[in-house]
Amino acid sequence: MSVALVREHAEKVKPPRALFAPFPFGHTLGRPNDPEYQHKVIAAAFDLLNRPSGPVLEDFDGEVGEKLVQASAIEVSVASSNGTNPADELTSMRELYERWVADHDGRTMVGLSGIPQRRYRGTVRFLEEYAENGAADIKERPEDVAVPQFMRYCVDDLKAFYYEARMAQRSNATEEEIHTWFWGETAIAQLIKDVAKRMNETDDADLKSFANGLAR
Amino acid sequence: MPRLEALSEVERKSLSFFPCMEFDQTPWVPLSKDLSQSKVALISTAGLHVRGDKPFISDFKGGDPSFRVIPSNTSPADILQSHVSIGFDHTGFYKDMNIAFPIDRLQELVERGVIGSVSENHYSFMGAIRDPRRIIEDTGPQVAQLLKDEGVNIAFLVPI
Repeated sequence: MSVALVREHAEKVKPPRALFAPFPFGHTLGRPNDPEYQHKVIAAAFDLLNRPSGPVLEDFDGEVGEKLVQASAIEVSVASSNGTNPADELTSMRELYERWVADHDGRTMVGLSGIPQRRYRGTVRFLEEYAENGAADIKERPEDVAVPQFMRYCVDDLKAFYYEARMAQRSNATEEEIHTWFWGETAIAQLIKDVAKRMNETDDADLKSFANGLAR
Repeated sequence: MPRLEALSEVERKSLSFFPCMEFDQTPWVPLSKDLSQSKVALISTAGLHVRGDKPFISDFKGGDPSFRVIPSNTSPADILQSHVSIGFDHTGFYKDMNIAFPIDRLQELVERGVIGSVSENHYSFMGAIRDPRRIIEDTGPQVAQLLKDEGVNIAFLVPI
């Protein structure tokens, strides 16, 4: 039994039981922090088990409340070079981030790099060195993980750290507001863009692909 | 996902041309026992893993076909996401992982008597896989066998 996000694909694959959910990618069960709404979607999926034969593809009768928001779709015109040092900015966000974690029973999407967040000034130095020289390394990188891959984990950590800190600070901020703040106003996002720019200056298709994943 | 016709041309083309496999037949197994007696496992394509386990690899050609075991008694504080795609908004998952990995909801369904139990393990794959052959031939059947061995009655596949 599955939830299908692209109806046209489910029609081709023909899984035994699929519920087409009309929500944006990333919002499979409708709405975050709305347990009863999520239960409605789950119940509709479980209900497909009562059909006598298949394939079954039914539509969930839900409203797509918000327009599709993707960080990659946000146009940011404001330059974030506001003179702030990224490491200092990051340190100033720490209290907010830790409040987020405390308020959510320890739940956090920060941790891919395995580097404790209190040592992220080292992560920032790693990224700064790469942005400046086109080469850098960090002692926490496991031997079997290539530098660009580890950089992706570090950047994903920084994004999650900032997003969660911002959500602790402004619990009512919309997703678009958070994206616009991050990419438009923070020094760390400018640093990430600088890293991606450096990767894009090479002729290496894999690096360009990493750059694409970093800077959005 | 909203219907394709509601999307921008770029998004619509990207999804329309995504290499989706087409099948003529559908396997069908009737539910063997009542839902309230059934054991349920989650199969996610949200690129999840337990903190300390290996994250998924972003530049695996065709997409990382491996899977991660997520014991159902894992604290949600120890579940991480290394999904390669920037084609979806991660903010919803930051806010509440139940949006695509409904571990708390399943527990509530047990408490409400709707389902019998939650399986010992959930499983996660990476999403945005452009070449699913390794999953179809290798890692998918591995997970199917594990589910059988664990006596799972219902596999609930939840993408992101």
